[in-house]
Amino acid sequence: MKQYIIRRLLQIIPTLIGISIIIFAISSLVPGDYITAVDNPTMTAEKAAQLREIYGLDKPPVERYLTWVGNMLKGNLGDSLVHKQPVTTVMNNYVWNSFFIAIFSLILSWVIAAFAGVFSAKFQYSLFDKIITLLVFLCMSLPSFFIGLLLIKFFALDLGWFPVGGMKTSGMNGSTWDQLIDIAWHMFLPVTVLTMLSTGSLTRYFRTSMLEVIRQDYIRTARAKGLKERTVIFKHALRNAMLPAITLMGFELPSLFGGAIIMEKIFIWPGVGQVYLESINMRDYPFMLGFTVFISVLTLLGNLLSDVLYGTADPRIRLK
Amino acid sequence: MKKRMSLLLAIMLLAITVLAACGGGGTAEQPPSQGDQTEQTPPAEGEDTTEPPAENGNDSQGYFKAEDPSANPANALARKDTLVVGMTAPKGVFNPFYWQTAYDRYVVDAIFDSFFSLNGDGTYNNRLAESVEVSEDKLKYTFKLKPGVKYSNGEPVTVKDYAFAMKVYHDSSYDGQSDLLSVNIKGGKEYNEGKADEISGIKVIDDNTIEIEVTEANAMTKDNLGTVFFVPESVYGKGYKQGNLEYMKDLHAKPVGSGQYVLKSFSPGQEVVLEANPDYFLGAPKIKNVIYKTTTDETKLAMFQSGEIDMDMVTVNEDNVEALKEMGFLDINIFPTNGYGYVAMNHKDPKFQDPKVRQALIYGLNRAEVVEIIYGKYANVINIPQSSVSWAYTEEGIEPHEFDIEKAKQLLDEAGWAPGADGIREKDGKKFEVHFSATADNPVIDALIPVMTQNYQELGIKLTAETLDFNAIMDKKDKGDFEMFFAAWGLTPDPDSTVYITNGPQNDIGYSNPDYDAAMKKGLNAFDLEERKAAYAEAYQVLNKDVPDLPIYQRRDAWAINSRLTGVDITPYKNFAIDLYKAEIQQ
Repeated sequence: MKQYIIRRLLQIIPTLIGISIIIFAISSLVPGDYITAVDNPTMTAEKAAQLREIYGLDKPPVERYLTWVGNMLKGNLGDSLVHKQPVTTVMNNYVWNSFFIAIFSLILSWVIAAFAGVFSAKFQYSLFDKIITLLVFLCMSLPSFFIGLLLIKFFALDLGWFPVGGMKTSGMNGSTWDQLIDIAWHMFLPVTVLTMLSTGSLTRYFRTSMLEVIRQDYIRTARAKGLKERTVIFKHALRNAMLPAITLMGFELPSLFGGAIIMEKIFIWPGVGQVYLESINMRDYPFMLGFTVFISVLTLLGNLLSDVLYGTADPRIRLK
Repeated sequence: MKKRMSLLLAIMLLAITVLAACGGGGTAEQPPSQGDQTEQTPPAEGEDTTEPPAENGNDSQGYFKAEDPSANPANALARKDTLVVGMTAPKGVFNPFYWQTAYDRYVVDAIFDSFFSLNGDGTYNNRLAESVEVSEDKLKYTFKLKPGVKYSNGEPVTVKDYAFAMKVYHDSSYDGQSDLLSVNIKGGKEYNEGKADEISGIKVIDDNTIEIEVTEANAMTKDNLGTVFFVPESVYGKGYKQGNLEYMKDLHAKPVGSGQYVLKSFSPGQEVVLEANPDYFLGAPKIKNVIYKTTTDETKLAMFQSGEIDMDMVTVNEDNVEALKEMGFLDINIFPTNGYGYVAMNHKDPKFQDPKVRQALIYGLNRAEVVEIIYGKYANVINIPQSSVSWAYTEEGIEPHEFDIEKAKQLLDEAGWAPGADGIREKDGKKFEVHFSATADNPVIDALIPVMTQNYQELGIKLTAETLDFNAIMDKKDKGDFEMFFAAWGLTPDPDSTVYITNGPQNDIGYSNPDYDAAMKKGLNAFDLEERKAAYAEAYQVLNKDVPDLPIYQRRDAWAINSRLTGVDITPYKNFAIDLYKAEIQQ
């Protein structure tokens, strides 16, 4: 097992090199650079040339790529041009905010989806199943900005239960506990919307794999043994139905840190998604490339993680 | 298989990156705001609402008082000593040398002071300066600093700090946006190139007096010299070595100035908390706490309504203004945006080189209709590239080029473009076809293209539009690889500009007219305001006759301000932070 993990980790290296070449190539093919994006109407040509020289934008792409990769190997992702700070600092400033809402909505949507999926499989074609199907499809198909604005209208403006946006109340000076409650209060609506969006497909997934399992012989055997229905469903069936879901779990890893652009914009959540989008529009290459590499690494690790977990959970495909 | 899978994912991510890049539309209207380039104004349609006209009789701009201050939300009323200003998130570069967005600038303006401060009309008056003397030949400027001013860390403000700031601006590793090298301070270039370790043109006479010598002066020299922010050298100069400003980035989040407010805390993407500087030399600010809170266009209005913000800049269109007025407790300050939208033509393209053709293109385009579709009454057609509130603005001798398709046809006939068999005009066997590079997701483009296509078709010109990312168009513009595009320019308080000057750095369209160049030069080098006015009027008349590009509109900006606030001073030139210390909360 250990050998397998090491081998997989080593395989990540050439993949990463390939990724870095591709993203760098694309970024240098895209027209415009930071100076054109700023488009300062009073900037003289000399000043623009000087800035390009300081930022290294005047050098040929191959040289820039090698400098970038060289610095990255030393753990230096460079300075964001927009934020005038090291890329890692900027990421650290925003990534955790995205992570918090993502992890809560991840937990919620998995729990809800597991229960909803299991019960609608158990009572296939019942009224309950139909209602669940209708609901999840409704949540899935409504655009997130629409649900977001709708929830703001009802819960923040009409009822006044939750704030319109932001992460904390401006000008509040309470104890740490009060502040945590304040953040949780601000988190409620964005987490709700994110959960609504992701529960749908997961529920369908669980339902399908549960349906498959529930028809297996060993379930009939378990029932024939006289086991309680609850034990049959949750112990014997669910465990096996969960197996394919483990693969999904690994793929969730990058999305935990990737941020949710639309959601962040509507709820003014200070996450990394907006910052990333802006870095693309502003041609802030150090941040854009740095963050893309970060997400690629997470994707590769998530991939590895799901393979390892799958092997651990399912003895049939356990590696020798 | 797995390996291919991960690569595939990475490629997908990148594809998304590129797709996202194509979605970014925008124009460059506000000069300092790099993070906020999109013109998000949705087309405002619908009939006029019944609004009381402002004092000047023009109901599309002015200061509209709140009609029902009693409707103020409890949340806002509960804040007795705190003002919450909504805005796009500042980036955290609270450093007078390096700020880049308008929002970081709001923070810098509240924390730092310079010799001069901006007046509402775009001129300057003394702030830290007690007096300024200019020598007869305009090459020597002696600034006297007000005595007894202190930084928030208790140290006295001296002109040595000014001299230090100048060194930073002239340093070869300085990568901020300010360009003081172009002010031509004596010895500045040598310092920049590392040939000297002092700037020879800057002489500190005593702690409160400094003399600056320039090699070349123009009308803007004094203002450029007087708007350098004071920072304590003991903080910002610690560790400074010529040619290395690397340490500066640690200071972005820890500003120390002599201004109205001090920074209390900054949460990236959320808020900037400022606290009044009780020892401010013009008197302690009347509002103790000021918070700059992040807002977005989608939810600004909701945050006004719930009382979470007291003031914010709002996009001006009929829907928004109506919604704000309906709330009742908001004052609305609507004023002309300091910028204008225009359609550029490439003067290197032979068909655009004939002034008659360009005149035909402007007479033949129904600009009034375009503007009406996009902004309703909240914009007007412009004929010169200058704001209607600038001192340099003139209507004298300016032809308004009102929509006149017959005149346009006649001009094209005169220019030798005769209608061909298919109705498209031809000259020397070439058809009159125009290729328009349009920004994606831009409401202006959505309104402009259909009108333009139809109008020009009637003229016998075929217009084809291609949609591109904003940066791609800027790139084409820099390379001169375009026929027509729409963009917007931001204006500076001073009318000097290089947009139409022969080979000017911003002259991307390749326009050249020696008369214009001469008039602009006269304007820049005159020191008397009346003389300057006359020179710029002349310059604008030349442009008006030549039609180097098609000026389209000047729109409106607006700030909504909670009616419990008084003394908030905002004009097209002056942001709220400059005189923030005068603002007050009515109890």
